[in-house]
Amino acid sequence: MGLLAWVMMGLAIWHFTIFLPDRFWGGIVGAFIGAITGAIVVGLIIYGVKVSAFQVPGESATDIGVVLYAIPGALIGIAAVYLEGMRRERALVARSSTR
Amino acid sequence: MTDRRRNTLILLIVAGLIAASVAVIATKKTRLGLDLKGGVQLVYQAKPTAQSKVDAESLNRAIDIMRKRVDQLGVAQPEIQRSGADEIDVALPDVSDAGQAENEVGKTAQLFFYDWEPNVIGPGGKVATQEPQPQSITGGAQAGGSVFGLPEYEAVLRAAKRPAILRKNDTTLEPGCTPEQKSECIYGSWYLLNTKNKTVLKGPEETQQNLYANNYKVPVGATPKVVRVNPGTVLVQARPVENEKTGKVTNQSPNSWFVLNDNYVLTGADVKNPTQSFDEGGGGTGAPNVTFGFTGHGQSVFQNVTKEIAHRGQEAQLPGVGKEAAQQHFAVVLDGQLITTPSIDYTKYPEGIDASTGSQISGGFTITSAQSLANELQSGALPIKLELISNSQVSATLGKTALNQGLIAGLVGFAVVCLFLLLFYRVLGAIAVGGLIIYGIYFFALIKLIPITMTLPGIAGLILTIGIAADANIVIFERVKEEIRGGRSVISGIATGYKRGFAAIVDANVVTFMTAFILFALATAEVKGFAFTLGIGTLLTLFTAVLATQAALGAMSRSKAVTHPAALGAARRGGGWTFDFMGASKWFFSLSGTILLVGALAIGGRGLNFGIDFKSGTRIQTAFIKPVSESEVAKAMSAAGYGNAEVQKFVNKSIGGTGFQISTKTLKPTGVKDIKAALNTKFGNGPNSPGTKNFSSTSIGPTFGKTVANSAVIAIIASLLVISAYIALRFEWKYAVPVLIALMHDLLITAGVYSLTGREVTTATVAALLTILGYSLYDTIIVFDRVRENVPRMPRAAFSQIVNRSMSEVLTRSLATSFCTLLPVLALLLFGGETLKDFAFALMVGVASGAYSSVFIASPVLTHWKEREGSYRNRRARIIRELGSVPAYATTAAGEKEDVEPQQKRKRSRRGSLMAPEEPGEQISRDEFQELVRDLDVEGRPSSVGVAQKAPPEEPEEIEEQRDPAADLTPEDLVMKDAPKPRDKRKRPRNKRHGRAR
Repeated sequence: MGLLAWVMMGLAIWHFTIFLPDRFWGGIVGAFIGAITGAIVVGLIIYGVKVSAFQVPGESATDIGVVLYAIPGALIGIAAVYLEGMRRERALVARSSTR
Repeated sequence: MTDRRRNTLILLIVAGLIAASVAVIATKKTRLGLDLKGGVQLVYQAKPTAQSKVDAESLNRAIDIMRKRVDQLGVAQPEIQRSGADEIDVALPDVSDAGQAENEVGKTAQLFFYDWEPNVIGPGGKVATQEPQPQSITGGAQAGGSVFGLPEYEAVLRAAKRPAILRKNDTTLEPGCTPEQKSECIYGSWYLLNTKNKTVLKGPEETQQNLYANNYKVPVGATPKVVRVNPGTVLVQARPVENEKTGKVTNQSPNSWFVLNDNYVLTGADVKNPTQSFDEGGGGTGAPNVTFGFTGHGQSVFQNVTKEIAHRGQEAQLPGVGKEAAQQHFAVVLDGQLITTPSIDYTKYPEGIDASTGSQISGGFTITSAQSLANELQSGALPIKLELISNSQVSATLGKTALNQGLIAGLVGFAVVCLFLLLFYRVLGAIAVGGLIIYGIYFFALIKLIPITMTLPGIAGLILTIGIAADANIVIFERVKEEIRGGRSVISGIATGYKRGFAAIVDANVVTFMTAFILFALATAEVKGFAFTLGIGTLLTLFTAVLATQAALGAMSRSKAVTHPAALGAARRGGGWTFDFMGASKWFFSLSGTILLVGALAIGGRGLNFGIDFKSGTRIQTAFIKPVSESEVAKAMSAAGYGNAEVQKFVNKSIGGTGFQISTKTLKPTGVKDIKAALNTKFGNGPNSPGTKNFSSTSIGPTFGKTVANSAVIAIIASLLVISAYIALRFEWKYAVPVLIALMHDLLITAGVYSLTGREVTTATVAALLTILGYSLYDTIIVFDRVRENVPRMPRAAFSQIVNRSMSEVLTRSLATSFCTLLPVLALLLFGGETLKDFAFALMVGVASGAYSSVFIASPVLTHWKEREGSYRNRRARIIRELGSVPAYATTAAGEKEDVEPQQKRKRSRRGSLMAPEEPGEQISRDEFQELVRDLDVEGRPSSVGVAQKAPPEEPEEIEEQRDPAADLTPEDLVMKDAPKPRDKRKRPRNKRHGRAR
């Protein structure tokens, strides 16, 4: 259940990346993968630290607090993809200017 | 073959099939499922025994035996089928006693005959005959009686001391298993003991893991210990305790056990012609018993063994002691419990008992139990152990009500779809309605012919396919209208409309069919009915909605009814939608993001309301003859020993007004029977009096719930994979990703809505979710199909302009198909009764979300992604350079909307002009391109911006030289993935100095 909520949260946050310029590595789909992966991974890490075990929260363990664990992860994932996209863009510009 | 002949032939085939269908409908009976006619459904999970593993062969053998037993019960039209890898689904229509059905059908009925004394194990681990006081171990004259047995805990410990004795027919040793302890091996039997209070918590189980299956939790305070009893040793329960005077059984299952060396001499397979009879021989008690004969092998073994027993008795005879003390015994064990332990009178049978006249089993039988045993022996023992994991019972009245509700919902759905088609498409609509009626006749005939067992989910599938059949017509009709409005004649418009709409319909229907197939392969039996009707219906629509209606329209093409565009609803040349779909997409993304955010929080805060299908438990729904209150029912439940039961009052027409829902932990059919009897006693005049009415129950074990959840997840993942592969093949892999994102969006929004509304998630919801997958895709494919078609037609437009144009062209079509599907779904929601309402709700949310996401999620994602491609980036850069921004639609310099297919193109020259590739997506050759330019008369037109501003130069080589970095692709570059690669590309002369193309 926790996984479902994290994916939902990641997907929800990803929808707002449409307001950002498309500099994501892999475009909007890259941002999607970043948001979902980040939401799940960071959700797992935070929950893992909380319960001292690597596990997905079940139905009874999923509350609003657990759902919110996905937010930093989704943002980190999106930011990472964005920064990588910018880095690649700069590298491309630099390569083409040196030619 | 000319079109006319072809149409006539198709119409003749259609008419012939209608006649055949009517004949089938008139002569064959409709097979109704349990939920529509009432009855008992039992789902068993197979487990291995010492003699057999669970595989296809043993399951099929078990099904054959179960079928024989059901036949003996006299049940009409039973359905016994395999479900998944290890489950057997038994549907018994018109049976009202689930407990009796369980006893009759699923009992293993493994019968073994033992020579008693040399096989009972004593405290030293040796057989009783080698122990100091054998009679205290075997029971002496009271052999097998409960007085001499051990408590189960002690019996297990005694048995566990024995070494393994493997016999030839012992198949429990799995390949790779060794006698050393291996928890995953099937080797002997496993027990979980509580050493603190010396009880057996669980067992026997085939593997150690099974002891903890279904999240079994050891009771708090217990000291668990796992013990294995090696192969070759078994525990048998003592005979049922009987009242000495009356002979009635006072304790069927005493805690008294014997440890046996598992060296049986005969099995149930050696018995023939078992019959329920009465003990009426000399000195007979007149009590019910079971008489039987032996097979040839059985006869000789029986005689030899009884002779050996007689000799042993003779040897044990001590002077001055009665012969009863010395007599030895023969034990009959049925499903792990001693049934009888007759002694062999060595004075009467010194040479053993001649088995040619048969034998008998007697003791503690009632007529019913004796009949039951005789039946079980007659049909044979099940080769595997069957564990009841789910059972449900539906009253006939409830079933009838559900059927009526389903039929009403179907009829209303059909009527509103027809009305919509007639209002929106006039003559075309009338033909579509004709197609729908033919579809209905064919489908009903198929249901009877195959035969398909109609269940409530099946009816839902049928109603949904009405929408799908109408959708196919809408897709084509919109295309026909488009072609006619574009300047084609009615006849040509019809032909082109069908031709161009067909690919989209095939794609969409193939995807729906694949979803239905996956659902059928992986889902539980209840959902299979839905999947089957959906799959068959989808295939059938291709015939009725495409072939039949095309032939009908073709045949009518010269009649006055269709020669005027107004008759087809194509008189007005609509300007189409001019909305900037891509520009507004950010706001729709925000809307979706917000809905998902709320949904995610709702899942955290409220969770999902999983039904017992997933959580396991027993749910009883009943009404009462006389008015009772919730607290009275709760008290009655408490008095019956179910104090933890949850009682809820509800009002439902199908149950006859006010009803009560009682939820408890998972109960066996006998438990449900006890509750019904208790309620009848409390609110009627006795256990069998009609205190309750419309009593129905569903019991789901934890294993079944887990299976349902797993199969749902597998089905969803499999559907997504198959769908992605199909889209990638038919379109381009980049088209598959937005589709997946849109599907995810739809599923998660539906989950969020379920959480917000608190609706129960059942197996029907899972079926609805999978249908949403298929349907959402239907819509997206319609949109993407047009994008695919427009890409080569707009060689200088930005991708967002192509998508905007495509949207404006197909939005009406998309809205019409969604509306048309929603109509029958709405009918289901309003008239379909409780079960179908839940299903319809999920479908309604999903279909609405699917239509929305295909336009506002999938297409913008595709646009954003495709615009990163070099060619489209260049186009966009060029348009911005020229205009300062990218207009929503490709426009001319005069600001007019640039037509994809300009007016001039309709006027074909005698030599036949070319305006676009004949087949959308197909590459055009260089010569064709030149021809296209001539036809467009680009030079003579005002310079258009964004689409056709520059006239292509005469020589292709010059294009290459004049290209700037933001130049567009040449038509040769605009090749969709499914188009063949150009083969006739001329090799350019190479610059000899640099070796590069000039």
